[in-house]
Amino acid sequence: MTDFDTKKLSNIHHELHSDLPSEPALRTKALESLLTEKKLLDAAAIDAWIEMYRDEIGPKRGAAVIARAWTDPAFKERLLADGTSAIAELGFAGHGTGHLQAVENTPQVHNLVVCTLCSCYPFSLLGVSPAWYKSNEYRARAVRDPRGVLKEFGVELDAGTQVRVWDSTSERRYLVVPQRPTGLDAWDENALAQLVRRNSMIGTQRDLHLSREMS
Amino acid sequence: MDGVHDLGGREGFGLVPNKEDGEPFHAEWETRAFGIVQSSALGSGWSIDWFRHCRELIVPTDYLTRPYFDQWITTLAAQLVDEGYLTLQEVRSGKSSFIPQPAYAADTAEASRKYVKVPKSYAREVGTAALFSSGDSVRCSALGSPGHTRLPGYVRGRRGVVHAHHGGHGLPDASTRGSTEAEHLYTVRFEASELWPEAEDAVDQVFVDLWESYLEPA
Repeated sequence: MTDFDTKKLSNIHHELHSDLPSEPALRTKALESLLTEKKLLDAAAIDAWIEMYRDEIGPKRGAAVIARAWTDPAFKERLLADGTSAIAELGFAGHGTGHLQAVENTPQVHNLVVCTLCSCYPFSLLGVSPAWYKSNEYRARAVRDPRGVLKEFGVELDAGTQVRVWDSTSERRYLVVPQRPTGLDAWDENALAQLVRRNSMIGTQRDLHLSREMS
Repeated sequence: MDGVHDLGGREGFGLVPNKEDGEPFHAEWETRAFGIVQSSALGSGWSIDWFRHCRELIVPTDYLTRPYFDQWITTLAAQLVDEGYLTLQEVRSGKSSFIPQPAYAADTAEASRKYVKVPKSYAREVGTAALFSSGDSVRCSALGSPGHTRLPGYVRGRRGVVHAHHGGHGLPDASTRGSTEAEHLYTVRFEASELWPEAEDAVDQVFVDLWESYLEPA
């Protein structure tokens, strides 16, 4: 049983630093086989997690939520007021979205989401996060140099457009609602959902261009 | 704790890597590590906060250099050693010497499939009225705290405005000491110019979720 001893954990990590294989693939394999032998793992459950996040859970869900918000004003209102309940209407409630806050881009405001302390992310809507989201560089710079980070992602903002950076420090998770592309009034919800990319829901993409997505 | 994990605002980091690549996994071992950590047997003290704290305690040079999912699996190993379910001798030899009785057995595939569909609420009752409400001016604690905390270094001692009050939420600082306490949770809005010396004229803002004991009236 743990005694929640920070110093003890730190000492264990210093031992593991040299006791575990250094190469990540070997380290993972060594632990998987040892923990399986000790009956601390169930191979079928490992496969289930991998399959669920490969086949069912990913940014397509987030895109469906955004397209619904664009086409159904009452849904958008519910999404902005209580994200967790709203995504349950589409069957996407779950892992990591117990307290979901949607934040809306406008011509005057651009939202950007980060987790500076670890890697918090709305899993049940966007799947497993991309590597750059968890990188030291993004975590360090998004709160201090958001315009520089955005520029690297190809987003150029007017000086007058305000950037709002959301640092996910509690169990609340943030979802950016990008602006609906103009000139697509005839498009239905499913067609619009095809335009919505993962980065636009984190905030590292602003404009959803028809031409770029179709090419 | 003042660990290297507290990265917000640290300078000297370069361009964001792998921007064009949205793939969550890049090697089979990463996929396995993800599944292993999500489904492993756990000790009675496990919480998401305790997992985060155990990751923060990775050797600092490793924290900054080893791959993300490698850190996950290393954190799991450290927790299992701490719980007494795994020994360093077993880690060194790669051979099991006993079968432990974990507080929470390894998940089954069926349990995992149910788990991902259930949104977990961290809302908790707090016995006292909220000290702050939207629009109040607050200042963050300047000292932080020695164990796990969700008060990032870059807002310590800084002044912000309460943007929203979210009722009571479990306090991570307490759960990583093995105690269950709840406090009012707020989203606090900071002007970039309050946080960064080079942001004097910036119109940008940073929003941070903070628990009541991190804050005082300002």
